[in-house]
Amino acid sequence: MIYLVRTMDLKFLIAEQPGSVMQLFEHEAKEILAREGVLVPRSCYVSTAEQALESTTRIGPPVVLKAQTLVKGRGKAGLVRLAYCPSEAARVFEELVGRSHEGPSVSGVLIEEKIPLVGEIFLSITVDCPNASPLLLVGLQGGVEVETILLDRPEFVKKVHFSPAKGLKEAQIFEVLDFVANAMPEFFGVRTRKQLEKLIRVSEKIFKTYDCELLEINPLGIADDLSLVVIDALMVIDDDAEFRHPDLVRPRGQSQQDFQREQEFKKKGWTFIPMGGEIGILSSGAGITMAILDLIHLYGGKPANFLDTAQMDRRGIYEAFQIFHTNTNTKVLLVNIFAGLNRCDDLALGIVDYLRDFQPPFPIVVRMIGNKDEEGRRILREHGLEPLVALEEAVLKAIEKLRG
Amino acid sequence: MSILAFSTTNVLVQGITGRAARHHTRNMLDYGTRIVAGVRPGAGGEVVEGVPVYDSVEEACRHHKVDASVLFVPAARVKDAAIEAIQNGIKLLVIHAEHVPLHDVMILLEEARSSGVTVIGPNTPGIISPPERTKLGFMPSSYFQPGTLGVASRSGTLTYELVFRLSRAGIGQSTVIGVGGDRIVGLRFGEAVRLFNEDPETTAILLIGEIGGTMEEEVAELLAEWHLQKPVFAFLAGYTAPQGRRVGHSGALVERSKGRVEDKLKVLAEAGVAVGRTLTEVVELVRASSTYGTRPHV
Repeated sequence: MIYLVRTMDLKFLIAEQPGSVMQLFEHEAKEILAREGVLVPRSCYVSTAEQALESTTRIGPPVVLKAQTLVKGRGKAGLVRLAYCPSEAARVFEELVGRSHEGPSVSGVLIEEKIPLVGEIFLSITVDCPNASPLLLVGLQGGVEVETILLDRPEFVKKVHFSPAKGLKEAQIFEVLDFVANAMPEFFGVRTRKQLEKLIRVSEKIFKTYDCELLEINPLGIADDLSLVVIDALMVIDDDAEFRHPDLVRPRGQSQQDFQREQEFKKKGWTFIPMGGEIGILSSGAGITMAILDLIHLYGGKPANFLDTAQMDRRGIYEAFQIFHTNTNTKVLLVNIFAGLNRCDDLALGIVDYLRDFQPPFPIVVRMIGNKDEEGRRILREHGLEPLVALEEAVLKAIEKLRG
Repeated sequence: MSILAFSTTNVLVQGITGRAARHHTRNMLDYGTRIVAGVRPGAGGEVVEGVPVYDSVEEACRHHKVDASVLFVPAARVKDAAIEAIQNGIKLLVIHAEHVPLHDVMILLEEARSSGVTVIGPNTPGIISPPERTKLGFMPSSYFQPGTLGVASRSGTLTYELVFRLSRAGIGQSTVIGVGGDRIVGLRFGEAVRLFNEDPETTAILLIGEIGGTMEEEVAELLAEWHLQKPVFAFLAGYTAPQGRRVGHSGALVERSKGRVEDKLKVLAEAGVAVGRTLTEVVELVRASSTYGTRPHV
């Protein structure tokens, strides 16, 4: 019984929510591959029309202009274009960057030589989470989503689980090479086979050194001289391993402001996701907070956000309240406190601190149980808040307040 | 009986000198956990909450028989600490740290598998066996009551909330395991259910799942094969969680159409699991089945 494959979908995800995982831009991934001696097209990353003009002259038209964005399906979206002369390249550059206004932000454009191909395959290394194992996938058809091929033509894909500590075994690499060479003998002579072998080894090394969740070369082009060229590359780095790759941490496809807020929250161990409704939620623990979202919906309300804070104390809850001033369309704030390891009286004091320093722009409903909850409730009552005990009751109360 | 954690389990605490570790060592001891030693490189010879501290796991194991280790070490050091414990023959590890790099988890789990070691976590509150008065972890023990319901959960806080309600309804627990909220964890629902099924004093099983991952689907498939005599219940969180985002737990992530709670509910129901849609409902389902029973303290 094998449960495949989570990471294939990452591209889609990332497209939805820039910054939610650490995906590199194509040009960054290609630079890393090139540094390891892998063949990539001659290219230049440009951020002005003048640079586009100049680089096209240098590379020599025709060139491919590829918008650097984390969105999937750039081809279909018209974000990959051809130009046959430098001035056309400058024009196309303007168009691509101009596209930022209607959709995902395009931070720059990668200009590449156009390489004539005779075939395309793909190579991907991903983390198979249920099996806690890295997984190498090599497919006989490139340029198509890996997941689609796995579903439609599984016989086109060679899958090899390998040891995260010891890496691919020689025999496993040869198995993959034989699979490809037997299927495409016209392309995979001795030289090309050697190139693929090197590419597999280099990819495995990068996958490991960069803490990749996914390294996908798709398509991997077969040029007319039968050498292998990386046409597109996707690299997603495990954000829990960010500390090992500080040089790669920077905003991608999001504003500096959003990026900074995200980094700040990450440091605190908070997750904040705006959801568009009116009932703000301040709660710690992902599971219980999700259950609260479900309850709010069940009772006919709409949550304004998902917020999961790490275990809170007096200071933490004081700070958490302030998120709601600027960040949501919160009309009522539901605070859920189940003090297992912390204490209700301490948190109640944090709420009192907040009420002393700020004029909350919304009514507040507090549910409070756990350690020292009698004391906590007494403190809040003295400050005009009447905490509830049952979660369901608190959710209903919040909805009621909303409806006035 | 319970599973995995017993009153006779000799426990080591790795990283025992940290602030949280000291606090929870005290709590574990107060609850009844038999903590025999602690480890902190450079702090050998110290005593924390009456527990002797050693420089290495090897040294601790030379002086004490150790059955299990609770790791209060930071994410970046989890891999090395876990492998040290595995190589010294400890057969049960509880890893609390959140944000352990994926590659580190894969490597330590490979080592654990080849040595026959059970790993709970990462990103888990731990495991508690109320009839045995033993916990390896930091769940607030006052909400737990001895009984015969086996619980496995992907979420800490949700476990506390549900267990609090269960205990209040007179439904005690044989063992409660937090399997961990990360994308890759050691012990999964399937294995937990298998152990609960083999435990004669567990009479019913409750799974607390959430969006993302495949753990619920796996256990549904196993249950369809196994035809357990014991009833299995489930509660799932995240029907309305925002999609395409990691919702706090890194394992709680819906990707395209995969990992959705609706699908998990469907496969679990097809495998004969009684799924409560709300916290109240699942407690009612368990109570109505009358296969549990609260026992007096041992």
